[in-house]
Amino acid sequence: MGVATEVALNRRFEAAVFDWDGTAVPDREAPAGPLRRVIERLCERGFDVGVVSGTHVDNVDGQLLARPTGPGCLYLCLNRGSEVFAVGPDGPRLLHRRVASPEEEAALTAAAELTVERLAVKGLHAEIVARRLNRRKIDLISEPEWADPSKGRIAELLEAVETRLRRCGIADLSEIVEVARTAATEAGLADARVTSDAKHVEIGLTDKSDSARWLLERLWRRGIGPRGVLIAGDELGPLGGVPGSDSLMLVPEASRAVVVSVGVEPLGVPDGVLALGGGPGRFLGLLEDQLARREQRALPLVAAESGWTLAVEGLDPELERAQAALLTLADGRIGTSGCPVAAHRAAVPRVLAADLYAGEGAETMLVPCPAWNLLECELDSGGISRAFDLRAGVLRQEIQLGDRGPLSVILFSSLARPGTAVLRAEGSTQLLEGGTPLVATEPEVTELGRQGRFTLARVGAGTGGVAAAALEERLEWEAFSRIDRLAVYRADPVRLPGLDAALADLVEADRAGFDRLLVEHRCAWARRWEDADVVIEGDPELQLAVRFALFHLMASVADSGEAAVGARGLSGPAYRGHVFWDSEIFILPFLAATHPEAARAMLEYRLRRLPAARAAAQAQGRAGARFPWESAAVGADVTPPSAHDRTGRPIPIRTGELEEHIVADVAWAAACYADWSGDRDFLEGVGRPLLVETARYWASRLRVDGAGRGHIYGVIGPDEYHEPVDDNAYTNVMARWNLRRAAELVGAAPGGVTSDERESWLRAAGSLVDGYHPESGLYEQFAGFWELEPLMIEDVAPRRPVAAEILLGRERLRRAQVVKQADVLMLHHLVPDEVAPGSLLSNLLFYEPRTAHGSSLSPGIHAALFARAGRPDRAVERLRIASRIDLDDLTGTTAEGLHLAAMGSVWQALAFGFAGLRPTPEALQVDPRLPAEWTAMELCVRFRGSRVCLRVEPSTLTVTADPETAVFVVGTARPIVVQPSGARLERRGESWEVAR
Amino acid sequence: MTRVIAALDNSAVARPVLETAVGIASLYRATVDAVHLREDSARTAQAAADAVGVELRSLAGDVLGPLIEAGREDDVVAMVIGTRGRRFGRRSLGHVALELILAVAKPLVLVPPNGQIPFELARVLVPLDGTRATAVAVEHTVELACVAGVEVIVLHVYGEESLPLFSDQPQHELESWAREFLARYSPGGPGVRLEVRVGVPAEHVLRVAEETEASVIALGWSQDLSAGRAAVVRKVLEHAQIPVLLVPIPTRVASGGGPEEPHAGTLGLLIQA
Repeated sequence: MGVATEVALNRRFEAAVFDWDGTAVPDREAPAGPLRRVIERLCERGFDVGVVSGTHVDNVDGQLLARPTGPGCLYLCLNRGSEVFAVGPDGPRLLHRRVASPEEEAALTAAAELTVERLAVKGLHAEIVARRLNRRKIDLISEPEWADPSKGRIAELLEAVETRLRRCGIADLSEIVEVARTAATEAGLADARVTSDAKHVEIGLTDKSDSARWLLERLWRRGIGPRGVLIAGDELGPLGGVPGSDSLMLVPEASRAVVVSVGVEPLGVPDGVLALGGGPGRFLGLLEDQLARREQRALPLVAAESGWTLAVEGLDPELERAQAALLTLADGRIGTSGCPVAAHRAAVPRVLAADLYAGEGAETMLVPCPAWNLLECELDSGGISRAFDLRAGVLRQEIQLGDRGPLSVILFSSLARPGTAVLRAEGSTQLLEGGTPLVATEPEVTELGRQGRFTLARVGAGTGGVAAAALEERLEWEAFSRIDRLAVYRADPVRLPGLDAALADLVEADRAGFDRLLVEHRCAWARRWEDADVVIEGDPELQLAVRFALFHLMASVADSGEAAVGARGLSGPAYRGHVFWDSEIFILPFLAATHPEAARAMLEYRLRRLPAARAAAQAQGRAGARFPWESAAVGADVTPPSAHDRTGRPIPIRTGELEEHIVADVAWAAACYADWSGDRDFLEGVGRPLLVETARYWASRLRVDGAGRGHIYGVIGPDEYHEPVDDNAYTNVMARWNLRRAAELVGAAPGGVTSDERESWLRAAGSLVDGYHPESGLYEQFAGFWELEPLMIEDVAPRRPVAAEILLGRERLRRAQVVKQADVLMLHHLVPDEVAPGSLLSNLLFYEPRTAHGSSLSPGIHAALFARAGRPDRAVERLRIASRIDLDDLTGTTAEGLHLAAMGSVWQALAFGFAGLRPTPEALQVDPRLPAEWTAMELCVRFRGSRVCLRVEPSTLTVTADPETAVFVVGTARPIVVQPSGARLERRGESWEVAR
Repeated sequence: MTRVIAALDNSAVARPVLETAVGIASLYRATVDAVHLREDSARTAQAAADAVGVELRSLAGDVLGPLIEAGREDDVVAMVIGTRGRRFGRRSLGHVALELILAVAKPLVLVPPNGQIPFELARVLVPLDGTRATAVAVEHTVELACVAGVEVIVLHVYGEESLPLFSDQPQHELESWAREFLARYSPGGPGVRLEVRVGVPAEHVLRVAEETEASVIALGWSQDLSAGRAAVVRKVLEHAQIPVLLVPIPTRVASGGGPEEPHAGTLGLLIQA
């Protein structure tokens, strides 16, 4: 075996896809006991197996007789690509069958007969020997000696067949294949698959390429990319002028897989295929090697699949904390920084639990938990590389520790079992001995102890806290060790949890073992990506940045119970874990449209804090509920009342007192969730107060002047450069929307709200001034905005974004038309039906040059707005900035946590901006705008239980929906019901037409 | 044992120089080596030495060469010398001081004529521009100060070209930014305080030094006084009322050993193809 071959195979694979006859077994009579045993044990260890064969299930299953119990899967892809079975403890179960239409059946027969006829004309006797599923098989050498030749005689067989052919003046098999292909076309088969194994030529509707494609797609959906797959066959090289039958498995999707041939391959193998030879015995050896690696706890590969891997080389003391934040592992419940497992002075190990706060008032902050991801060694140089597989949520670290040798580590925070963290490491025994699986990062507040083989820890937080249990197991060979470490965290914000629950979960996780935990985790991530991925063709850097954002959005939010999503999620202590409008307006829409369970958990967080919101309203003499600008454990406002600005001067912070639009933002989020998920029961049931109580608040908050106009005085809008202001357009219009949406809800289901009260909401909504001037088509951001100094920040600071309060000072800003972030324009983004039709462009052209984008929330929203306004190229400029905020540490604070809201704005720019998605009562509205530099964009969402996927190209739009759902493409006459098989539309100028 | 050389002339600055040297020596845990640069009488210098209780040795004739040689000796950790006037240059700084700061790659304290007597090293102001080079230069000094219980105030001044792009919620943003800035550029730990200003760096260095009653200003610099370089150093030396500690940027850093980008910069991620 050559060095390259040895290197390619000297690792753990996650799945094998292989041909049956000649590769896995020498013939159909051969016993397959050893193969069965190794496959079953591999499946137990989380390895997936895909068998590809032209024959039927009774032949393959009858010979293999494997009954795997999982977690790895065994698939039989049979009948030359026409059937797929999953094999479990009860035997094979049909997953997929290609069913030929009667016309196709007739065409297959006609094609076979025509082929035999034409070969006869050339003097070659051939026979149709079997009519199998979706294909016809023609025997080219029906002599007794060659009735059932073994694979080992392939060269002899080929010689015999070619001798026959030459006698008839036929050059080689390729000529036969061509005859069959022509016959198939003439018989009406547009995409006939013609193959030959030397003895036969077959005409079919499917072939092994369909099997390979199906398997690779299925593996991808189980979180296994092609780099983790070993493909094996015995006929990969050409045979008699035609490609070997197993070469059909080499589909483009398999281009990064390792491919081996164990066959004789008389004419060699294609480039990239490793020729091993040795037949089924050699192949069995490969599987046994994989099994041995798993039993010896080999580390899985972190596969660098294109567009999915974030890599950080070396350790830069300056950048380390920011890079560790980028590499945060999280499962919605706990978040762990991706710092090196070996201690380094620049690294700050950090584990945070969602919703777990300590402290009072503004000092309420997230509590650090004991760390599970540290080994007892020190990194004294930059000898480390880290690769983060965003698709699988797995981090791999390769560390060079001088004399003590290399250390390799795999870490993940299980999405399938939130709160469970897993580490596997390999290195010298000296390096891996004596570690403790839990390290108190805040020893003064941590109880740490041992119970048998378990390490236990508890940290109190308010009345609640977190309990953690961990264990570590070692496997040693002389100077070399591998360890598996498991840690389970159970957090409870109300009561200090006992250790029993964490311990029980730890025992359960231990029973499952590393491989099962990895499979579960990988599959959980694959499922999430299936509903959420966005593909951008033509911009690989943006592609990775987008996936980076989507990963952290998904990882930061729990999908059961309540989800308190702080501004930096679980990736750092900044903003003290406080919950802002970031959650409802920027993060929740992505989840509502891709994983509504998580959006629902975010709303649950607000619902459980309704008493505090009601008390806050009451304290101000208002009705309903007033949600706080900054929220934490109990739902009271925790906004710090003062701060120092960057010039060192103390400044009062009035957002807690005045930034009241959060009340309508919460209501909007509830509606957003219901509109995407279709969960009407939520709005009419438990979620109802989020609309009703907020409407009550606004009804009591506004003041009506003598002319009957409603005003909201003394607020701060999203543009926090101006405070306090009267009649902020964003606040007023969102309040108006809130009142109307609540009235609509109680109109359909009164639920204790009187018609008088409902009417009063509608009157209040109708009375509210919104600053709109029909003559100019502009909204005045707040009363008096147009009297301020007209200052184009675009001209003053050509290099935007810029923190304008630092450039110009707070006082100057107050007197100038300089805007921190979208304010009026947020209305066009969030509630387009509440603003004057056609007013987006005029307001965008007016406000954008006045916007400093000094908030990290601003560029992404402007990207969405530019896209909607038909300026996709400007939109891309803004989108790039938004997508790089953390990757390039544009704020200098990424080390303290990732900017989740900016990440949410990236998705909104793509989904709401470029794709033009909008849930309407009748259908999912789609209105795509593709920038010139992208060749295509793909995006998936869940709309009312249906998985809807779009592929947008410059002149075509393809939509699929499963199950079927109504989609309205703007520019068409009416909604269409899109089926799982999809609909294709073509652009005709400004409109779209369904392609026939 | 290491030494701090106090270079004294016979002017009024001799005593402040010596007082400062004693303070600096305590920081470096070194002894003071008082050297009289004999150009005329030694009376003032001797009186200063007597007052502080250190021995005085003299260098006669062309003192510059021997002083540079002395400064380069291994056991010398820092030098202290007086300045003369207000305007930066040979006449005001004194030609010896000017040559020394260029020739000796060690911390060098320049003491103004009206330097404090007695000198108490209570507070060091460390201006940092958010580059690795200046941070590395003063790193050791900051560490020593923290160990010695001397208060360290780090100052970062935003210029028009280095304004931050974003400032989300001021009540949290600066807190986070400051923690990370100090983590990156100041090794001193929790005792270090950060002040941030916006405007012309040298002006703010002087202003904050006054506001905070700093005992000394510690500046990292590249030992390059060619046109357009060291603007902050020039101006601070011209106007500072307190000693200025110039710490040369180590050659390995100055010659490209680290990025010169300000605080917020590309993290150097690799995109896997």
